[in-house]
Amino acid sequence: MPGDILSVDNLRKHFPTKEGVVRAVDGVSFSIAPGETFGLVGESGSGKTTTAQCIIGMYPPTSGDIWFKGERINAAFDRRPKHVKGDLRIVFQDPGSSLNPKRTIKQILSVPLQVHRIGSRRGRLARMKALLDMVELPADEYLYKHPQAIGGGERQMVALARALATNPSLVLLDEPTSALDVSVQAKIINLLIRLQKELDLTYLFITHDLSLMRNIATRVAIMYLGKLCEIAPTAEFFESPVHPYTRMLLSSIPVVSDEEEALKPRKVLSTGEIPSPVNVPPGCGFQSRCPEAADVCRRVDPEMVEVSRSHQVRCHRERRPDRAGHAEASVLHEREERLC
Amino acid sequence: MALLEVVDLHVGYRVFEGYLKVLNGVNFEIEEQERVGLVGETGCGKTTLVKTILRVLPVPPARIQRGQVLYHGKDILLMSPREVRGLRRREMTAIFQDPLQALNPMFTIGTQLRDILKDSQERVGRGQRTQRAITARCISALRDTGMPDPERIMSNYPIQLSGGMRQRVCIAEALSRNVRLLLADEPTTNLDVTIQDQILRKLDQLVDQRGASVLIITHSMGVVRDLTQRLYIMYAGSMVETGRTKGVLASPLHPYTQGLMRSVPRLTGQGISDGIPGRIPNYLQPPSGCRFHPRCAHAMPVCVEAPPPFYPAGDNHRVACYLYRS
Ligand SMILES: Nc1ncnc2c1ncn2[C@@H]1O[C@H](COP(=O)(O)OP(=O)(O)OP(=O)(O)O)[C@@H](O)[C@H]1O
Ligand SMILES: Nc1ncnc2c1ncn2[C@@H]1O[C@H](COP(=O)(O)OP(=O)(O)OP(=O)(O)O)[C@@H](O)[C@H]1O
Ligand code: SF4
Ligand SMILES: [Mg+2]
Ligand SMILES: [Mg+2]
Repeated sequence: MPGDILSVDNLRKHFPTKEGVVRAVDGVSFSIAPGETFGLVGESGSGKTTTAQCIIGMYPPTSGDIWFKGERINAAFDRRPKHVKGDLRIVFQDPGSSLNPKRTIKQILSVPLQVHRIGSRRGRLARMKALLDMVELPADEYLYKHPQAIGGGERQMVALARALATNPSLVLLDEPTSALDVSVQAKIINLLIRLQKELDLTYLFITHDLSLMRNIATRVAIMYLGKLCEIAPTAEFFESPVHPYTRMLLSSIPVVSDEEEALKPRKVLSTGEIPSPVNVPPGCGFQSRCPEAADVCRRVDPEMVEVSRSHQVRCHRERRPDRAGHAEASVLHEREERLC
Repeated sequence: MALLEVVDLHVGYRVFEGYLKVLNGVNFEIEEQERVGLVGETGCGKTTLVKTILRVLPVPPARIQRGQVLYHGKDILLMSPREVRGLRRREMTAIFQDPLQALNPMFTIGTQLRDILKDSQERVGRGQRTQRAITARCISALRDTGMPDPERIMSNYPIQLSGGMRQRVCIAEALSRNVRLLLADEPTTNLDVTIQDQILRKLDQLVDQRGASVLIITHSMGVVRDLTQRLYIMYAGSMVETGRTKGVLASPLHPYTQGLMRSVPRLTGQGISDGIPGRIPNYLQPPSGCRFHPRCAHAMPVCVEAPPPFYPAGDNHRVACYLYRS
């Protein structure tokens, strides 16, 4: 759509290996509007990181297109124009291994400034201090420290400062807080929210934590076996999930109070064989675990259809004639259960 | 007698800048057939504790200053290497946070799993039938953890797997051992919640069927609520609160636990709190007295003087905070 900051169109990334072709990302389409926090959640190994890696240019896609601010950016990182590299940045899960242990924080932060020729020598020091200040680390104390000498949460703040060094407008966050305790996580999330407002940032946020997404995402997309299975605005996503995998996910969220327990769909136990991206079965990717799989699901891969203008689902149940009113009914019946 | 009892354990690390005083008088215990949760701050010493218990701590840089780790009343820290090997073979095992560290990069997953199964069994024959049976058991252990395509995975090397897949190999390994105590250090952080749920149910079954005990370390309050009966909260190298899990989560007493509970993102969607003010302690020069005092809104003069002991707070609930001295 015009006006979108990022648009991914039928993206595929296949890795040839000795055991066969790994269809890590297998036809993914979505777009993100400026100012959004787009949550990408899904199965372990479903291709979330690979999707982010294609967007950032670590791998060229096998097929499909990536559009960033109206410009097609399929090329690998080295061949992308510099303004795109600076405008589109990534933060990884494990700050321990993404920060070079031999360098000081000052050296780590100076790399993007030098590469992107930001500021004079003196100006750079001021910029680095401002960056640390932005992520709420006292610059005088931290500039000359090494990554191992600081805590996991602080390392993640340094990684964020490094990503922000080039004034990006879109930041990809790949599980930025999943290794941290909830208090440190809360600090980083608040920081991300504040910076988003101050710097007009857009986020693509990958996580397994649906409770976190409930609180910060504008829209949520669910990925399974290389494909998206549902996209919806956050409130609608949690209130009326449609895809059976989404329901299974939501019903498995570990929560801390009975009040939250009541908001979850009825428990759907996870059973059945987990498919592998090397042997993608015919039909729907979720059929081997789906409690509602019908014959057609084993033969035909469903297409993405609209439940409402902004809510899309890829499931045959959505197409079946008996389906009209079905969503409504099940939502109602769950609401009733909640009242019990 | 408790199955495992840790008494006044002090462990630190020698680093370039000096000595990190990490574990600062840890006291905790696990009863037979008990499911215990351990939640704590990033870097507060949870993994250090597990490594000390299993005697896999790298010494140096680590140093065990004092304390006891009693297993059935016998101090593991004083056992001979031979006794320790026997202990690890038959009595306790761990799922480590960093699976790459736990797996040998030189051998296939199948080789490693088969060795462990053979090793943990009393008598195994060498016949082809037993070999095949062992392979089948490895595959079914992998399948139990929600591993895609377990037959193929058996011939893979660790580097060929994604983080979540490696984690599942370690879980399969631990679950196929017949032990009395399982120490699980963030076993499911890299996994989606459906697979997490599947694995936690498996763990639960294990406790029921074999009468084993489990310690589960996690940052997820929801996971401990689902799985454990009793909970420990750890801050900066010592336990600050313990009690029945539901009780601690519903009415946390220690100011640190209260701050943690406020930070948990809720499905009700009321936004994210600010987290606990202040910074995590510096282990080179940790704060005196209660290590939480610089960040505590209730700190009193006594808090700076000496570490608070555990005070009882009803219903097996105990809390190391002077507010509950009465
Ligand atoms: N370089 C590679 N070569 C071969 N296969 C790969 C490569 N990178 C990823 N894969 C495979 O692609 C699939 C998707 O991996 P990816 O890391 O994108 O998953 P993910 O959704 O981020 O999972 P997680 O939630 O565990 O982080 C996995 O099956 C993985 O094994
Ligand atoms: N090998 C080591 N050398 C020096 N310091 C170490 C070493 N291992 C751990 N530490 C330090 O000891 C402290 C406790 O580490 P530990 O890994 O036990 O924490 P943790 O509670 O498991 O944290 P996390 O929640 O991040 O897993 C940390 O401050 C860490 O920096
Ligand atoms: S002992 Fe004192 S400083 Fe520590 S938590 Fe309690 S009130 Fe706060
Ligand atoms: Mg990933
Ligand atoms: Mg740890």
